Amino acid sequence: MGTELRLQPKDFKSDQEVRWCPGCGDYAILAAVQGFMPELGLARENIVFVSGIGCSSRFPYYMNTYGMHSIHGRAPAIATGLATSRRDLSVWVVTGDGDALSIGGNHLIHALRRNVNLKILLFNNRIYGLTKGQYSPTSEVGKITKSTPMGSLDAPFNPVSLAIGAEATFVARTVDSDRKHLTDVLRQAAAHPGTALVEIYQNCNIFNDGAFDILKDRRQAEEAVIRLEHGQPIRFGTDHAQGIVRDETTGDLKAVTVTPDNEARVLVHDAHTPSPTTAFALSRLADPDTLHHTPIGVFRSVDRPVYDTQMADQLEQAVEMNGKGDLGALLAGNDTWKVGRSARHPRSTTAARP
Amino acid sequence: MAYVIAQPCVDVKDRACIDECPVDCIYEGPRKLYIQPDECVDCGACEPVCPVEAIFFEDDVPAEWGAYRTADAEVFAELGSPGGASATGPLAADHPLVAARAAQAA
Repeated sequence: MGTELRLQPKDFKSDQEVRWCPGCGDYAILAAVQGFMPELGLARENIVFVSGIGCSSRFPYYMNTYGMHSIHGRAPAIATGLATSRRDLSVWVVTGDGDALSIGGNHLIHALRRNVNLKILLFNNRIYGLTKGQYSPTSEVGKITKSTPMGSLDAPFNPVSLAIGAEATFVARTVDSDRKHLTDVLRQAAAHPGTALVEIYQNCNIFNDGAFDILKDRRQAEEAVIRLEHGQPIRFGTDHAQGIVRDETTGDLKAVTVTPDNEARVLVHDAHTPSPTTAFALSRLADPDTLHHTPIGVFRSVDRPVYDTQMADQLEQAVEMNGKGDLGALLAGNDTWKVGRSARHPRSTTAARP
Repeated sequence: MAYVIAQPCVDVKDRACIDECPVDCIYEGPRKLYIQPDECVDCGACEPVCPVEAIFFEDDVPAEWGAYRTADAEVFAELGSPGGASATGPLAADHPLVAARAAQAA
C-alpha cells in the first residue's frame, strides 16, 4: 500500500438502511465495530465480514467492506476457506447464540481447534430473536418462551467454556453497551494470530429485554462484573473489596472479601498461560441464572501455529517436491492415483488397480 | 449521524427517552435533553417514546426547528464524549438557542 490510509468510522457505514428493532443491542455493536475498523489500517476491500443466519447476521449489509450473508451456522466454514486461500484478508465472522451454538455448533468448535485466522463475534442474547422469541442454546434453565411454555429443560451452553474446551487460542467476553470495553476487546482480538472468539452479551429488547441489565446498571455492575486484565489481581466490587482466590481443597475458584490475611492469595490474571485450566475456571464463576460474578475481558490469549500459515507452508512444500501439478490432467486421468512420496516419480503414479 | 432532540423538549424533559436509550447517551441540560452524537448508535429507541415528539433523525428535523439539527452536537463541542450520561450527571448549561428562549409552558 502506497499511502497511509486515513479512514474514518463513517467510511465503514454502507448505504443500507439498518433494519434491526429500535433499541436493539446490535446497533451499539455495529457502531463500535465501525468505530474500531479504521485502526486496522486496512483498505476496505481487504476486510470481509461473513455471517450466518439470524438478526446479527444482517451485519455484513451495514459494513462498507466485502461480506457474505451465508448459510445457517456455516459462516465459520466459509470464512475458513476464505482465510486459508486469501491470507491477505482480514476475515471476521458475525454470528449469534443460535447460529453458532445450535445448527453451527460443529463448525464453530472445529474452526476454534484449527486456529484459522478468523475473528468470530458471537452476539449472545440468550434467545431466538429473528424467529420471534424461542429459547436458544444459551437460554437459562426454566426460561419461559414461546417454545418452552413450561420452562426450558435444557442446560445452557456457556460459550466461553465451550470455546476454551474446543482448544481456542483467544477467548474473550464483552458487553454491547460498553463501547470502551468492547473496542478494547476487538483490538486485542484483531491483533491475535489465529481464531479469536469474542462473546458479546447483546440485549434483545423485544424478546429478552434486560437479560444483562445486572451487568449494565452502574450500582449493580460493580458487584456483578469482574473485569479481567492480564497481569492484574482479579479484584472487583465497591473499592475492589472482593477478590478471586483458589480454593485450596478443590482447586476451584471462588470470590472472597479481601483482607490483609488473604490479599496475597488473590489470583493474578494470566491470559497467556498455556494451560487452559484457570481460564476455564474463570469461565465457570458466573452464576448462569443471576449472572453474578461475570468475568468480562480476555480469558485466554495464547500463541499456537496458525492453520492458514501451516497450510500455505504444506502447499509450498508439495509444489517444491512434486512441481505445480496439473489438475486438468488429474481429472481427465485414471480413476485412482497415488499421492505422497511416490509421486516424485511421475511414471510410477499410474494407479495400481487391485 | 445521530438522532437529535428538537424544541418540543424544552422545559418538558419527560426523560422517557433516557430510560429507553441502550447506550446511555442522552444527557440532561437545565431545560432540554441532549443526545451525544458520537455515543448515539442510531438505534432509534428514543424516537417513538417521546411524548412530545421532539426526537428526530438528524436528516429529518422539520424545517421550523432546523437550528436544532446541530444544537445537540454543539453542546458537546467542549465536553466531548463523556462515555455515559448517568455517570457524568447533568450538563451545566443549555445550548444558547435553548437558553435564549422564554419559558415554555409544559
